[in-house]
Amino acid sequence: MLEGTLVDLVPFEDDFAIYLETWMNEEAWFRAHVWERREPHTEDDVKKYIEDMEKSEHGGLIGFQAKNGDPIGALIFDHEWTRVRKAEARVVVGDSRYEGTDEALDGLLMLVRYCFETRNLHRLDAVALPFHETWIEHLRRAGFVHEGTLRQHIRWDGDYVDLEMFGLLQSEWPGYAQKVAELSLQPSGLEPKPKPEKKDQKDAQPS
Amino acid sequence: MLSGLLVDLVPFTREWYQEKMYTYWNNESRLWATMGECMPISRASIARIIEERAQGRERGYSGVHFMMRAKDGTIIGSIGLNWIDYHSRCGFLGAWIGEEAYWGGGYGTDALLLVVDYAFRWLDLRRLALGTMALNVRAQRNVEKCGFRLEGRERQTTLVNGEWVDALTYGLLREEWPGREALVEELGLREKAAQRYGEGA
Amino acid sequence: MLYGVLVDLVPHSKESRELEHRWANNESSFWASGGEWRFVTRAQIEARYARRAEERERGRLGVGFEIRTKAGKPIGSIGINWLQPVHRLAMLGAKIGEPDYWGGGYGTDALLLIVEYAFDWLDVRKVWLMTSSMNARVMRQMEKVGFTLEGRQRQATLAEGVWHDWLAYGLLREEWPGRETLVERLGLRERAQVLYADAESGR
Repeated sequence: MLEGTLVDLVPFEDDFAIYLETWMNEEAWFRAHVWERREPHTEDDVKKYIEDMEKSEHGGLIGFQAKNGDPIGALIFDHEWTRVRKAEARVVVGDSRYEGTDEALDGLLMLVRYCFETRNLHRLDAVALPFHETWIEHLRRAGFVHEGTLRQHIRWDGDYVDLEMFGLLQSEWPGYAQKVAELSLQPSGLEPKPKPEKKDQKDAQPS
Repeated sequence: MLSGLLVDLVPFTREWYQEKMYTYWNNESRLWATMGECMPISRASIARIIEERAQGRERGYSGVHFMMRAKDGTIIGSIGLNWIDYHSRCGFLGAWIGEEAYWGGGYGTDALLLVVDYAFRWLDLRRLALGTMALNVRAQRNVEKCGFRLEGRERQTTLVNGEWVDALTYGLLREEWPGREALVEELGLREKAAQRYGEGA
Repeated sequence: MLYGVLVDLVPHSKESRELEHRWANNESSFWASGGEWRFVTRAQIEARYARRAEERERGRLGVGFEIRTKAGKPIGSIGINWLQPVHRLAMLGAKIGEPDYWGGGYGTDALLLIVEYAFDWLDVRKVWLMTSSMNARVMRQMEKVGFTLEGRQRQATLAEGVWHDWLAYGLLREEWPGRETLVERLGLRERAQVLYADAESGR
């Protein structure tokens, strides 16, 4: 476990794996995975995704939760290049109540901290849909620099939309402690969700 | 994932794989959905089909499938694109309502409108096609109401109850599609939903 | 298969593997990779082919050609490394493996052929590629052909101990004036005459 200011980082398993069956079929997932075709993900698809990320040598999947233990979402780094020491950063705010909150921002800061201060990466990339304002705001506050716009790059909801490119260098990162001091993060005070249903019940409930 | 007025289109669940597939592959709905197949099939064979499909997806199978769930939570069937030719941007649709009680009533139509909208909006396809047997008058009426046009008739393709039956191909081009909202209005799906589920559904 | 003015694009042949081995170990690889010197064995080239075949099996689409001069000499490869169906995007990759053929217009001719192929045959809406900021030759080529510099990933690649940027270039279908227009504008026919006349007269 790696403790942060408003969130903690944990292995992606147990309740996270159950929640992912829902999260992987919702907006936050699709916005963070723009290259992929938008399609339904079954329990098996979710299991396979987690297994692939566990085995991957080029990326990782980390769970992040509120201080009260309530799972919030997934922190992902992917396409890690060893030689040039860079990777792409993604945050999926699975519990949509936390979208745009300082908990989600702390998740991003913790991911950056992990990538720069533990994995010793030199650079992080990130992409954003132009209308994903909460993500763009968090990228900027974390210090990411806007590096370009891939014009009309992604099919989205009946149209082609731009994809904004961001990057952050290890040399530009003042360290997690200083970042937190600058940003004065405020907890949202959200109540924890009820525990997710275990899988021995037949899934016949409407979501 | 796709939310309609009478149905939602969602990922397949355990109940689908463990129960519903077996039921539907062995009841009358199969005859209509597969254009004439009618023979008993074991759980072991179903399990094998599920496995083969999973492998197919590993190998780049292009289709997308949704489970149909009525608004009251009942699983009623499946619908999706059986294959997509990305080169020509054409998709081939298939639908299967396994619960006889949900034939007619607008469930299939609601699902079809959702999938067509998805195919044009999210996958940027130019053309959709589907096949049905000449006997399946209900399906033909449905797809015609949704704007599909009869494009082909393959004569005496399938044997049903001792008779040779034609297979029909319907097609819909993107420029002919008025949009889901227009058809929801025209076909009175909101009224149907209100009738079925009460006001404020 | 695709016929140009200075080069043709043809399917990879059995000989391709040996050439790919040569090119993976010469300076062309340094430029194509944004600064990496490599030591690639024949077995590793085989393994690469196997991996690509497996990716194609799994639905990751791409199209690759060998570049041959009009005289029949293979000089490099070009293709669509990543063809994304839903987004109708083609990401290009190219390498002129023989340093004698850098400059001269061979690469540009190949690029025009592949872009035309992507728009006219694969119905994509946009072609794009990435290259390093060291690669002045490619950067000039991008401008001449009409690509737009869309993004700059700072310090994304290391060459001889110095950090360089990765540049993203894109070209939308509506901006593509057609291959013929560019062949004219860039004077590729005149160049072909000069180059092949030189060859004939043994200069």
